[in-house]
Amino acid sequence: MVNGVISMAKRELVRFFRQGHRVVGSIAQPIIFWLFLGSGFGASFQAPGLEGVSYTEYFFPGILLMVVLFSGIFSTITVIEDRNQGLLQGILVAPVPRIAIVFGKVIGAMVIGLLQAFLLLLTIPFLAIEPGFAGILMVILGLIIAALGFTALGFLIAWNMESTSGFHAIMSVFLLPLWMLSGAMFPMTQAPVWLEWLMFLNPVSHALLLIRMPLYQPISELLTSSQYIIAFIVAIIWAVGCLMLALSRVNRQQCSA
Amino acid sequence: MISIKELNYFYPVKKADKRQALNNLNLKVAPNTFFALTGPNGSGKSTLFSILSGLSLPKDGQITIDGLDIVRHQAKIRHMMGVVFQSPALDKHLTLAENFQIHGDLYGMEPSLLQKRLDEDLSWTGLKDRLGEMVGTLSGGMARRVELVKALLHRPKILLMDEPTNGLDPGSRRDFLDMVDNLRRERDMTILMTSHIFAEAERADEVGILHKGSLLASGSPKELTKRLGHEMVVIQTSKRKHAEFLKTKLSKKTGIKVWQRDSELRVEKVDKKTLDDLLSHYRDRFNEIAIKRPTLEDLFIHITQEKEES
Repeated sequence: MVNGVISMAKRELVRFFRQGHRVVGSIAQPIIFWLFLGSGFGASFQAPGLEGVSYTEYFFPGILLMVVLFSGIFSTITVIEDRNQGLLQGILVAPVPRIAIVFGKVIGAMVIGLLQAFLLLLTIPFLAIEPGFAGILMVILGLIIAALGFTALGFLIAWNMESTSGFHAIMSVFLLPLWMLSGAMFPMTQAPVWLEWLMFLNPVSHALLLIRMPLYQPISELLTSSQYIIAFIVAIIWAVGCLMLALSRVNRQQCSA
Repeated sequence: MISIKELNYFYPVKKADKRQALNNLNLKVAPNTFFALTGPNGSGKSTLFSILSGLSLPKDGQITIDGLDIVRHQAKIRHMMGVVFQSPALDKHLTLAENFQIHGDLYGMEPSLLQKRLDEDLSWTGLKDRLGEMVGTLSGGMARRVELVKALLHRPKILLMDEPTNGLDPGSRRDFLDMVDNLRRERDMTILMTSHIFAEAERADEVGILHKGSLLASGSPKELTKRLGHEMVVIQTSKRKHAEFLKTKLSKKTGIKVWQRDSELRVEKVDKKTLDDLLSHYRDRFNEIAIKRPTLEDLFIHITQEKEES
Protein backbone atom coordinates (compact mmCIF):
# COMPACT_ATOMS: atom_id res chain seq x y z
CA MET A 1 0.00 0.00 0.00
CA VAL A 2 2.85 2.41 0.85
CA ASN A 3 4.26 2.06 -2.68
CA GLY A 4 0.81 2.78 -4.06
CA VAL A 5 0.49 5.95 -1.95
CA ILE A 6 3.97 7.17 -2.91
CA SER A 7 3.32 6.40 -6.55
CA MET A 8 0.04 8.32 -6.58
CA ALA A 9 1.59 11.28 -4.75
CA LYS A 10 4.58 11.30 -7.11
CA ARG A 11 2.23 11.30 -10.06
CA GLU A 12 0.59 14.49 -8.77
CA LEU A 13 3.97 16.20 -8.51
CA VAL A 14 5.19 15.06 -11.94
CA ARG A 15 1.97 16.17 -13.57
CA PHE A 16 2.14 19.55 -11.79
CA PHE A 17 5.69 20.35 -12.82
CA ARG A 18 5.06 19.10 -16.36
CA GLN A 19 2.18 21.52 -16.84
CA GLY A 20 4.04 24.81 -17.09
CA HIS A 21 0.93 26.97 -17.16
CA ARG A 22 -0.22 25.40 -13.89
CA VAL A 23 3.12 26.13 -12.22
CA VAL A 24 3.18 29.75 -13.42
CA GLY A 25 -0.49 30.29 -12.57
CA SER A 26 -0.29 28.84 -9.09
CA ILE A 27 2.74 30.96 -8.19
CA ALA A 28 1.70 34.16 -9.98
CA GLN A 29 -1.93 34.25 -8.82
CA PRO A 30 -1.34 34.62 -5.07
CA ILE A 31 1.50 37.08 -5.65
CA ILE A 32 -0.68 39.22 -7.92
CA PHE A 33 -3.53 39.08 -5.35
CA TRP A 34 -1.14 39.95 -2.56
CA LEU A 35 0.52 42.86 -4.32
CA PHE A 36 -2.58 44.39 -5.92
CA LEU A 37 -4.92 44.03 -2.95
CA GLY A 38 -2.14 44.90 -0.54
CA SER A 39 -1.38 48.11 -2.46
CA GLY A 40 -5.03 48.95 -3.12
CA PHE A 41 -6.32 48.54 0.43
CA GLY A 42 -3.09 49.70 2.08
CA ALA A 43 -4.10 53.34 2.53
CA SER A 44 -7.58 52.63 3.90
CA PHE A 45 -6.70 49.70 6.17
CA GLN A 46 -7.19 50.64 9.80
CA ALA A 47 -8.17 48.04 12.36
CA PRO A 48 -8.19 48.34 16.14
CA GLY A 49 -5.30 46.44 17.65
CA LEU A 50 -3.51 46.29 14.32
CA GLU A 51 -2.02 49.77 14.32
CA GLY A 52 1.25 49.86 12.47
CA VAL A 53 0.40 46.70 10.50
CA SER A 54 0.28 47.29 6.77
CA TYR A 55 -2.40 45.56 4.72
CA THR A 56 0.32 43.75 2.77
CA GLU A 57 1.56 42.31 6.05
CA TYR A 58 -1.95 41.59 7.34
CA PHE A 59 -2.88 39.83 4.11
CA PHE A 60 0.28 37.65 4.09
CA PRO A 61 -1.10 34.70 6.18
CA GLY A 62 -4.28 34.85 4.09
CA ILE A 63 -2.23 34.53 0.92
CA LEU A 64 -0.37 31.53 2.36
CA LEU A 65 -3.76 29.97 3.11
CA MET A 66 -4.94 30.80 -0.40
CA VAL A 67 -1.96 29.00 -1.91
CA VAL A 68 -2.80 25.74 -0.14
CA LEU A 69 -6.51 26.22 -0.90
CA PHE A 70 -5.91 26.56 -4.65
CA SER A 71 -3.39 23.79 -4.68
CA GLY A 72 -5.90 21.49 -3.00
CA ILE A 73 -8.65 22.50 -5.42
CA PHE A 74 -6.63 22.11 -8.61
CA SER A 75 -5.12 18.83 -7.54
CA THR A 76 -8.40 17.26 -6.51
CA ILE A 77 -10.20 18.47 -9.64
CA THR A 78 -8.06 15.91 -11.46
CA VAL A 79 -10.13 13.21 -9.73
CA ILE A 80 -12.99 14.17 -12.05
CA GLU A 81 -10.71 14.27 -15.09
CA ASP A 82 -9.20 10.91 -14.15
CA ARG A 83 -12.66 9.40 -13.90
CA ASN A 84 -13.85 10.89 -17.20
CA GLN A 85 -10.73 9.71 -19.02
CA GLY A 86 -11.06 6.20 -17.59
CA LEU A 87 -7.83 6.40 -15.62
CA LEU A 88 -9.51 6.16 -12.23
CA GLN A 89 -11.13 2.83 -13.15
CA GLY A 90 -7.70 1.37 -13.79
CA ILE A 91 -6.61 2.39 -10.31
CA LEU A 92 -9.81 1.19 -8.64
CA VAL A 93 -9.43 -2.36 -9.97
CA ALA A 94 -5.88 -2.65 -8.58
CA PRO A 95 -5.37 -4.74 -5.43
CA VAL A 96 -4.22 -1.70 -3.46
CA PRO A 97 -6.77 -0.48 -0.85
CA ARG A 98 -8.86 2.44 -2.04
CA ILE A 99 -7.63 4.61 0.81
CA ALA A 100 -4.24 4.64 -0.93
CA ILE A 101 -5.84 6.74 -3.67
CA VAL A 102 -7.01 9.32 -1.13
CA PHE A 103 -3.71 9.42 0.73
CA GLY A 104 -1.71 9.58 -2.49
CA LYS A 105 -3.78 12.42 -3.90
CA VAL A 106 -3.90 14.34 -0.61
CA ILE A 107 -0.17 13.99 0.09
CA GLY A 108 0.70 14.98 -3.51
CA ALA A 109 -1.52 18.06 -3.37
CA MET A 110 -0.21 18.99 0.08
CA VAL A 111 3.38 18.85 -1.09
CA ILE A 112 2.59 21.00 -4.13
CA GLY A 113 0.79 23.56 -1.95
CA LEU A 114 3.54 23.59 0.66
CA LEU A 115 6.28 24.07 -1.96
CA GLN A 116 4.46 27.15 -3.23
CA ALA A 117 3.90 28.40 0.30
CA PHE A 118 7.62 27.96 1.05
CA LEU A 119 8.41 30.25 -1.88
CA LEU A 120 6.18 32.91 -0.31
CA LEU A 121 7.76 32.36 3.10
CA LEU A 122 11.01 33.58 1.54
CA THR A 123 9.47 37.08 1.45
CA ILE A 124 9.22 37.26 5.27
CA PRO A 125 12.49 39.25 5.60
CA PHE A 126 10.88 42.00 3.48
CA LEU A 127 7.95 42.30 5.87
CA ALA A 128 8.24 43.92 9.29
CA ILE A 129 7.91 40.60 11.12
CA GLU A 130 10.47 38.33 12.72
CA PRO A 131 8.93 34.99 13.59
CA GLY A 132 12.24 33.18 14.08
CA PHE A 133 12.99 29.59 13.11
CA ALA A 134 10.56 28.05 15.61
CA GLY A 135 7.85 30.46 14.48
CA ILE A 136 8.39 29.45 10.83
CA LEU A 137 8.10 25.78 11.82
CA MET A 138 4.80 26.52 13.57
CA VAL A 139 3.58 28.40 10.47
CA ILE A 140 4.48 25.32 8.40
CA LEU A 141 2.53 23.13 10.85
CA GLY A 142 -0.49 25.39 10.36
CA LEU A 143 -0.07 25.21 6.60
CA ILE A 144 0.10 21.41 6.71
CA ILE A 145 -3.16 21.21 8.69
CA ALA A 146 -4.87 23.71 6.35
CA ALA A 147 -3.59 21.88 3.26
CA LEU A 148 -4.84 18.56 4.63
CA GLY A 149 -8.28 20.04 5.33
CA PHE A 150 -8.68 21.74 1.95
CA THR A 151 -7.37 18.80 -0.08
CA ALA A 152 -9.48 16.23 1.74
CA LEU A 153 -12.53 18.49 1.39
CA GLY A 154 -11.76 19.04 -2.32
CA PHE A 155 -11.35 15.29 -2.81
CA LEU A 156 -14.64 14.58 -1.09
CA ILE A 157 -16.47 17.09 -3.31
CA ALA A 158 -14.70 15.99 -6.51
CA TRP A 159 -15.45 12.31 -5.89
CA ASN A 160 -19.17 13.06 -5.97
CA MET A 161 -19.06 15.36 -9.02
CA GLU A 162 -19.44 14.33 -12.62
CA SER A 163 -18.08 17.43 -14.33
CA THR A 164 -15.30 19.91 -13.69
CA SER A 165 -17.71 22.78 -14.33
CA GLY A 166 -19.83 21.56 -11.41
CA PHE A 167 -16.72 21.54 -9.26
CA HIS A 168 -15.93 25.14 -10.28
CA ALA A 169 -19.44 26.15 -9.20
CA ILE A 170 -18.92 24.55 -5.78
CA MET A 171 -15.54 26.24 -5.55
CA SER A 172 -17.10 29.67 -6.19
CA VAL A 173 -20.00 29.35 -3.77
CA PHE A 174 -18.44 27.24 -1.03
CA LEU A 175 -14.66 26.91 -1.00
CA LEU A 176 -13.74 30.52 -1.84
CA PRO A 177 -16.21 31.96 0.72
CA LEU A 178 -14.67 29.65 3.33
CA TRP A 179 -11.36 31.37 2.65
CA MET A 180 -12.85 34.88 2.45
CA LEU A 181 -14.64 34.42 5.76
CA SER A 182 -11.56 33.15 7.51
CA GLY A 183 -10.20 36.56 8.37
CA ALA A 184 -7.76 36.34 5.48
CA MET A 185 -8.99 39.57 3.87
CA PHE A 186 -10.42 41.51 6.83
CA PRO A 187 -10.24 41.06 10.60
CA MET A 188 -13.09 39.37 12.42
CA THR A 189 -13.43 42.29 14.83
CA GLN A 190 -14.29 44.70 11.99
CA ALA A 191 -17.17 42.58 10.72
CA PRO A 192 -20.91 42.90 11.69
CA VAL A 193 -21.98 40.58 14.50
CA TRP A 194 -23.70 38.02 12.22
CA LEU A 195 -20.64 37.85 10.01
CA GLU A 196 -18.37 37.64 13.02
CA TRP A 197 -20.31 34.54 14.12
CA LEU A 198 -20.09 33.02 10.69
CA MET A 199 -16.36 33.63 10.70
CA PHE A 200 -15.98 32.12 14.16
CA LEU A 201 -17.86 28.98 13.12
CA ASN A 202 -15.77 28.66 9.96
CA PRO A 203 -13.04 26.07 10.67
CA VAL A 204 -10.80 27.76 8.11
CA SER A 205 -10.66 30.86 10.38
CA HIS A 206 -9.02 28.67 12.99
CA ALA A 207 -6.60 27.24 10.45
CA LEU A 208 -5.66 30.81 9.55
CA LEU A 209 -4.91 31.59 13.19
CA LEU A 210 -2.44 28.68 13.19
CA ILE A 211 -0.59 30.49 10.40
CA ARG A 212 -0.98 34.09 11.62
CA MET A 213 -0.26 33.76 15.35
CA PRO A 214 3.23 32.15 15.08
CA LEU A 215 4.33 35.08 12.91
CA TYR A 216 3.92 37.41 15.90
CA GLN A 217 4.09 35.36 19.09
CA PRO A 218 6.92 33.20 20.42
CA ILE A 219 6.28 29.47 20.72
CA SER A 220 6.16 29.61 24.55
CA GLU A 221 3.28 32.10 24.37
CA LEU A 222 1.46 30.10 21.70
CA LEU A 223 1.45 26.92 23.72
CA THR A 224 -0.23 28.71 26.63
CA SER A 225 -2.61 30.77 24.50
CA SER A 226 -6.18 29.46 24.77
CA GLN A 227 -6.99 31.10 21.42
CA TYR A 228 -4.18 29.16 19.71
CA ILE A 229 -5.04 25.88 21.45
CA ILE A 230 -8.74 26.17 20.51
CA ALA A 231 -7.77 27.08 16.92
CA PHE A 232 -5.44 24.07 16.81
CA ILE A 233 -8.11 21.64 18.07
CA VAL A 234 -10.83 22.99 15.74
CA ALA A 235 -8.52 22.96 12.70
CA ILE A 236 -7.35 19.41 13.43
CA ILE A 237 -10.94 18.18 13.88
CA TRP A 238 -11.91 19.85 10.57
CA ALA A 239 -8.93 18.47 8.62
CA VAL A 240 -9.08 14.95 10.04
CA GLY A 241 -12.89 14.94 9.76
CA CYS A 242 -12.70 15.85 6.05
CA LEU A 243 -10.08 13.15 5.53
CA MET A 244 -12.22 10.54 7.28
CA LEU A 245 -15.27 11.50 5.21
CA ALA A 246 -13.21 11.25 2.01
CA LEU A 247 -11.87 7.84 3.03
CA SER A 248 -15.32 6.57 3.89
CA ARG A 249 -16.81 7.84 0.62
CA VAL A 250 -14.07 6.30 -1.52
CA ASN A 251 -14.42 2.98 0.26
CA ARG A 252 -18.08 2.79 -0.68
CA GLN A 253 -18.33 0.62 -3.80
CA GLN A 254 -21.09 0.95 -6.36
CA CYS A 255 -23.70 -1.65 -5.48
CA SER A 256 -26.79 -3.14 -7.11
CA ALA A 257 -29.97 -1.21 -6.23
CA MET B 1 -12.67 -20.91 -13.95
CA ILE B 2 -15.24 -18.13 -13.83
CA SER B 3 -18.62 -19.23 -12.56
CA ILE B 4 -21.67 -16.98 -12.49
CA LYS B 5 -24.90 -18.22 -10.92
CA GLU B 6 -28.28 -16.50 -10.94
CA LEU B 7 -26.79 -13.04 -11.11
CA ASN B 8 -29.08 -10.01 -11.04
CA TYR B 9 -28.05 -6.38 -11.10
CA PHE B 10 -30.21 -3.28 -10.85
CA TYR B 11 -29.38 0.38 -11.42
CA PRO B 12 -31.32 2.97 -9.44
CA VAL B 13 -33.38 5.15 -11.77
CA LYS B 14 -35.54 7.32 -9.54
CA LYS B 15 -36.21 7.23 -5.82
CA ALA B 16 -38.05 3.94 -5.64
CA ASP B 17 -37.47 2.83 -9.20
CA LYS B 18 -34.73 0.64 -10.62
CA ARG B 19 -33.70 -0.74 -13.99
CA GLN B 20 -32.59 -4.34 -14.33
CA ALA B 21 -29.30 -4.66 -16.20
CA LEU B 22 -28.64 -8.36 -15.55
CA ASN B 23 -31.43 -10.85 -15.29
CA ASN B 24 -30.79 -14.21 -13.62
CA LEU B 25 -27.56 -14.69 -15.53
CA ASN B 26 -25.78 -18.04 -15.47
CA LEU B 27 -22.43 -18.46 -17.18
CA LYS B 28 -19.32 -20.61 -16.94
CA VAL B 29 -15.96 -19.85 -18.47
CA ALA B 30 -13.50 -22.73 -18.45
CA PRO B 31 -9.83 -22.12 -17.60
CA ASN B 32 -7.50 -21.08 -20.45
CA THR B 33 -10.27 -20.30 -22.88
CA PHE B 34 -10.86 -17.17 -24.87
CA PHE B 35 -14.46 -16.29 -24.11
CA ALA B 36 -16.22 -13.50 -25.98
CA LEU B 37 -19.32 -11.97 -24.49
CA THR B 38 -21.29 -10.29 -27.19
CA GLY B 39 -24.61 -8.60 -27.68
CA PRO B 40 -25.97 -5.23 -28.70
CA ASN B 41 -25.47 -2.02 -26.73
CA GLY B 42 -27.43 -2.12 -23.49
CA SER B 43 -27.44 -5.92 -23.28
CA GLY B 44 -25.59 -5.93 -19.94
CA LYS B 45 -22.04 -6.64 -21.11
CA SER B 46 -20.47 -3.61 -19.47
CA THR B 47 -22.41 -4.17 -16.24
CA LEU B 48 -21.10 -7.73 -16.04
CA PHE B 49 -17.61 -6.46 -16.84
CA SER B 50 -17.91 -3.86 -14.10
CA ILE B 51 -18.88 -6.58 -11.58
CA LEU B 52 -16.15 -9.00 -12.67
CA SER B 53 -13.48 -6.30 -12.52
CA GLY B 54 -14.57 -5.36 -9.00
CA LEU B 55 -15.95 -1.90 -9.74
CA SER B 56 -19.53 -2.85 -8.82
CA LEU B 57 -20.88 -5.24 -6.25
CA PRO B 58 -23.78 -7.63 -6.88
CA LYS B 59 -26.44 -8.04 -4.21
CA ASP B 60 -27.73 -11.46 -5.20
CA GLY B 61 -26.41 -14.32 -7.24
CA GLN B 62 -22.93 -15.71 -6.88
CA ILE B 63 -19.70 -15.23 -8.80
CA THR B 64 -16.64 -17.30 -8.09
CA ILE B 65 -13.25 -17.06 -9.73
CA ASP B 66 -11.01 -20.07 -9.21
CA GLY B 67 -13.40 -21.04 -6.42
CA LEU B 68 -13.06 -17.68 -4.64
CA ASP B 69 -16.15 -15.60 -4.02
CA ILE B 70 -15.82 -12.27 -5.83
CA VAL B 71 -17.27 -10.24 -2.96
CA ARG B 72 -15.43 -11.87 -0.06
CA HIS B 73 -12.02 -12.27 -1.70
CA GLN B 74 -11.70 -9.01 -3.61
CA ALA B 75 -8.00 -8.38 -2.94
CA LYS B 76 -6.92 -11.91 -3.94
CA ILE B 77 -9.02 -11.83 -7.09
CA ARG B 78 -7.69 -8.42 -8.11
CA HIS B 79 -4.16 -9.84 -8.11
CA MET B 80 -5.35 -12.59 -10.47
CA MET B 81 -6.92 -10.19 -12.95
CA GLY B 82 -5.66 -7.97 -15.70
CA VAL B 83 -8.17 -5.42 -16.90
CA VAL B 84 -8.39 -3.56 -20.21
CA PHE B 85 -11.10 -0.91 -20.30
CA GLN B 86 -13.02 0.62 -23.20
CA SER B 87 -10.98 3.80 -22.97
CA PRO B 88 -7.33 3.25 -21.99
CA ALA B 89 -6.69 3.75 -18.27
CA LEU B 90 -3.48 5.64 -18.92
CA ASP B 91 -2.26 9.03 -17.78
CA LYS B 92 -1.68 11.09 -20.93
CA HIS B 93 0.58 13.53 -19.08
CA LEU B 94 3.01 10.75 -18.15
CA THR B 95 5.40 8.68 -20.25
CA LEU B 96 4.83 5.02 -21.01
CA ALA B 97 7.53 4.09 -18.49
CA GLU B 98 5.89 6.21 -15.78
CA ASN B 99 2.49 4.64 -16.45
CA PHE B 100 4.01 1.15 -16.20
CA GLN B 101 5.78 2.16 -12.98
CA ILE B 102 2.49 3.27 -11.38
CA HIS B 103 0.90 -0.04 -12.38
CA GLY B 104 3.84 -1.93 -10.87
CA ASP B 105 3.50 0.02 -7.62
CA LEU B 106 -0.26 -0.53 -7.43
CA TYR B 107 0.24 -4.28 -7.95
CA GLY B 108 3.13 -4.48 -5.47
CA MET B 109 5.80 -5.39 -8.04
CA GLU B 110 9.50 -5.07 -7.25
CA PRO B 111 11.33 -2.68 -9.65
CA SER B 112 13.57 -5.50 -10.94
CA LEU B 113 10.58 -7.73 -11.67
CA LEU B 114 8.80 -4.88 -13.42
CA GLN B 115 11.87 -4.25 -15.59
CA LYS B 116 12.15 -7.95 -16.45
CA ARG B 117 8.49 -8.15 -17.47
CA LEU B 118 8.77 -4.95 -19.50
CA ASP B 119 11.78 -6.39 -21.36
CA GLU B 120 9.75 -9.51 -22.14
CA ASP B 121 6.51 -7.80 -23.14
CA LEU B 122 7.70 -4.76 -25.02
CA SER B 123 9.57 -6.87 -27.56
CA TRP B 124 6.37 -8.26 -29.09
CA THR B 125 4.45 -5.02 -29.05
CA GLY B 126 6.91 -2.73 -30.85
CA LEU B 127 6.88 -0.31 -27.95
CA LYS B 128 10.42 -0.81 -26.69
CA ASP B 129 11.80 2.40 -28.19
CA ARG B 130 8.86 4.49 -27.08
CA LEU B 131 9.09 4.08 -23.30
CA GLY B 132 10.11 7.71 -22.80
CA GLU B 133 7.27 9.11 -24.91
CA MET B 134 4.18 10.74 -23.46
CA VAL B 135 1.08 8.55 -23.72
CA GLY B 136 -0.80 11.55 -25.12
CA THR B 137 1.32 11.43 -28.28
CA LEU B 138 0.42 7.81 -29.09
CA SER B 139 -2.14 6.77 -31.69
CA GLY B 140 -5.30 4.99 -30.53
CA GLY B 141 -3.92 1.61 -31.62
CA MET B 142 -0.61 2.16 -29.82
CA ALA B 143 -2.40 3.30 -26.66
CA ARG B 144 -4.35 0.03 -26.75
CA ARG B 145 -1.13 -1.96 -26.96
CA VAL B 146 0.25 -0.04 -23.98
CA GLU B 147 -2.95 -0.78 -22.08
CA LEU B 148 -2.67 -4.48 -22.93
CA VAL B 149 0.99 -4.65 -21.86
CA LYS B 150 0.12 -2.84 -18.63
CA ALA B 151 -2.72 -5.24 -17.86
CA LEU B 152 -0.36 -8.21 -18.32
CA LEU B 153 2.61 -6.94 -16.32
CA HIS B 154 1.61 -8.69 -13.10
CA ARG B 155 0.93 -11.91 -15.08
CA PRO B 156 -2.78 -12.28 -14.38
CA LYS B 157 -4.52 -15.64 -14.69
CA ILE B 158 -7.55 -13.89 -16.13
CA LEU B 159 -7.57 -11.07 -18.65
CA LEU B 160 -10.77 -9.02 -18.80
CA MET B 161 -11.27 -6.74 -21.79
CA ASP B 162 -14.25 -4.44 -22.22
CA GLU B 163 -14.79 -3.64 -25.90
CA PRO B 164 -11.04 -3.18 -26.32
CA THR B 165 -11.20 -2.32 -30.02
CA ASN B 166 -13.69 0.48 -29.50
CA GLY B 167 -12.74 3.53 -31.54
CA LEU B 168 -9.94 1.80 -33.46
CA ASP B 169 -9.65 1.83 -37.25
CA PRO B 170 -10.02 -1.57 -38.98
CA GLY B 171 -6.23 -2.06 -39.30
CA SER B 172 -5.51 -1.31 -35.64
CA ARG B 173 -8.46 -3.45 -34.64
CA ARG B 174 -7.10 -6.43 -36.57
CA ASP B 175 -3.58 -5.88 -35.15
CA PHE B 176 -4.93 -5.78 -31.61
CA LEU B 177 -6.98 -8.95 -32.02
CA ASP B 178 -4.00 -10.72 -33.64
CA MET B 179 -2.00 -9.80 -30.57
CA VAL B 180 -4.68 -11.31 -28.33
CA ASP B 181 -4.63 -14.46 -30.52
CA ASN B 182 -0.87 -14.77 -30.01
CA LEU B 183 -1.25 -14.28 -26.29
CA ARG B 184 -3.77 -17.07 -25.88
CA ARG B 185 -1.47 -19.42 -27.78
CA GLU B 186 1.59 -18.54 -25.73
CA ARG B 187 0.23 -18.14 -22.21
CA ASP B 188 -2.02 -20.10 -19.89
CA MET B 189 -4.61 -17.47 -19.39
CA THR B 190 -8.38 -17.16 -19.43
CA ILE B 191 -9.49 -14.25 -21.58
CA LEU B 192 -12.94 -12.74 -21.26
CA MET B 193 -13.66 -10.05 -23.82
CA THR B 194 -16.86 -8.11 -24.36
CA SER B 195 -17.66 -6.80 -27.80
CA HIS B 196 -20.74 -5.62 -29.61
CA ILE B 197 -19.08 -6.60 -32.89
CA PHE B 198 -20.16 -10.16 -33.63
CA ALA B 199 -17.35 -10.71 -36.15
CA GLU B 200 -14.80 -10.10 -33.36
CA ALA B 201 -16.50 -12.63 -31.11
CA GLU B 202 -16.13 -15.31 -33.79
CA ARG B 203 -12.38 -15.36 -33.11
CA ALA B 204 -12.98 -16.69 -29.59
CA ASP B 205 -13.08 -20.33 -28.40
CA GLU B 206 -16.44 -19.78 -26.74
CA VAL B 207 -19.08 -17.13 -27.22
CA GLY B 208 -21.92 -15.99 -24.99
CA ILE B 209 -24.68 -13.88 -26.53
CA LEU B 210 -26.31 -11.47 -24.10
CA HIS B 211 -29.63 -9.77 -24.65
CA LYS B 212 -31.52 -7.64 -22.13
CA GLY B 213 -29.35 -8.93 -19.31
CA SER B 214 -29.87 -12.63 -20.03
CA LEU B 215 -27.73 -15.18 -21.80
CA LEU B 216 -29.44 -16.11 -25.06
CA ALA B 217 -26.94 -18.72 -26.21
CA SER B 218 -23.42 -19.89 -25.54
CA GLY B 219 -20.98 -22.32 -27.12
CA SER B 220 -18.24 -22.33 -29.70
CA PRO B 221 -18.87 -20.04 -32.70
CA LYS B 222 -19.12 -23.13 -34.95
CA GLU B 223 -21.69 -24.84 -32.73
CA LEU B 224 -23.75 -21.70 -32.47
CA THR B 225 -23.86 -20.83 -36.16
CA LYS B 226 -24.57 -24.48 -37.02
CA ARG B 227 -28.01 -23.99 -35.48
CA LEU B 228 -28.93 -22.00 -38.58
CA GLY B 229 -27.66 -24.63 -41.02
CA HIS B 230 -24.65 -24.42 -43.27
CA GLU B 231 -25.88 -21.72 -45.60
CA MET B 232 -28.35 -18.89 -45.61
CA VAL B 233 -29.72 -16.50 -48.17
CA VAL B 234 -29.39 -12.77 -47.73
CA ILE B 235 -31.71 -10.54 -49.74
CA GLN B 236 -30.71 -6.92 -49.91
CA THR B 237 -33.45 -4.42 -50.72
CA SER B 238 -33.18 -0.67 -51.10
CA LYS B 239 -36.02 0.22 -48.76
CA ARG B 240 -37.35 -1.11 -45.51
CA LYS B 241 -40.91 -1.24 -46.87
CA HIS B 242 -39.71 -3.44 -49.74
CA ALA B 243 -38.13 -5.80 -47.24
CA GLU B 244 -41.35 -5.89 -45.24
CA PHE B 245 -43.34 -6.62 -48.39
CA LEU B 246 -41.03 -9.46 -49.47
CA LYS B 247 -40.98 -10.91 -45.98
CA THR B 248 -44.77 -11.16 -45.96
CA LYS B 249 -44.87 -12.67 -49.44
CA LEU B 250 -42.15 -15.23 -48.73
CA SER B 251 -43.57 -16.27 -45.39
CA LYS B 252 -47.13 -16.59 -46.67
CA LYS B 253 -46.35 -18.46 -49.87
CA THR B 254 -43.74 -20.91 -48.60
CA GLY B 255 -43.88 -20.89 -44.83
CA ILE B 256 -40.13 -20.31 -44.86
CA LYS B 257 -38.75 -18.48 -41.81
CA VAL B 258 -37.62 -15.02 -42.85
CA TRP B 259 -35.79 -12.56 -40.59
CA GLN B 260 -35.68 -8.90 -41.31
CA ARG B 261 -33.09 -6.34 -40.30
CA ASP B 262 -33.92 -2.92 -41.71
CA SER B 263 -33.82 -3.30 -45.50
CA GLU B 264 -32.19 -6.74 -45.37
CA LEU B 265 -33.84 -10.17 -45.25
CA ARG B 266 -32.23 -13.38 -44.10
CA VAL B 267 -33.70 -16.69 -45.10
CA GLU B 268 -32.38 -19.96 -43.70
CA LYS B 269 -32.17 -23.43 -45.19
CA VAL B 270 -33.86 -22.75 -48.50
CA ASP B 271 -33.52 -24.02 -51.98
CA LYS B 272 -32.12 -21.18 -54.06
CA LYS B 273 -34.12 -22.13 -57.11
CA THR B 274 -37.40 -21.93 -55.19
CA LEU B 275 -36.35 -18.57 -53.91
CA ASP B 276 -35.37 -17.33 -57.37
CA ASP B 277 -38.76 -18.40 -58.76
CA LEU B 278 -40.54 -16.56 -56.03
CA LEU B 279 -38.51 -13.45 -56.33
CA SER B 280 -38.71 -13.29 -60.09
CA HIS B 281 -42.16 -11.83 -59.59
CA TYR B 282 -40.77 -9.08 -57.40
CA ARG B 283 -37.39 -8.33 -59.00
CA ASP B 284 -37.93 -4.59 -58.76
CA ARG B 285 -38.17 -4.86 -54.96
CA PHE B 286 -34.63 -6.04 -54.18
CA ASN B 287 -31.04 -5.27 -55.22
CA GLU B 288 -29.22 -8.55 -54.77
CA ILE B 289 -29.39 -12.06 -53.39
CA ALA B 290 -26.36 -13.75 -51.89
CA ILE B 291 -25.69 -17.10 -50.29
CA LYS B 292 -23.40 -17.04 -47.30
CA ARG B 293 -22.40 -18.91 -44.18
CA PRO B 294 -24.43 -17.88 -41.15
CA THR B 295 -22.66 -15.65 -38.66
CA LEU B 296 -23.18 -14.99 -34.96
CA GLU B 297 -25.03 -11.86 -35.94
CA ASP B 298 -27.47 -14.00 -37.94
CA LEU B 299 -27.93 -16.21 -34.92
CA PHE B 300 -28.55 -13.20 -32.72
CA ILE B 301 -31.20 -11.84 -35.12
CA HIS B 302 -32.72 -15.30 -35.37
CA ILE B 303 -33.00 -15.85 -31.62
CA THR B 304 -34.18 -12.36 -30.69
CA GLN B 305 -36.86 -12.23 -33.40
CA GLU B 306 -38.05 -15.68 -32.50
CA LYS B 307 -38.30 -14.59 -28.88
CA GLU B 308 -40.24 -11.50 -29.78
CA GLU B 309 -42.61 -13.46 -32.01
CA SER B 310 -43.25 -16.05 -29.31
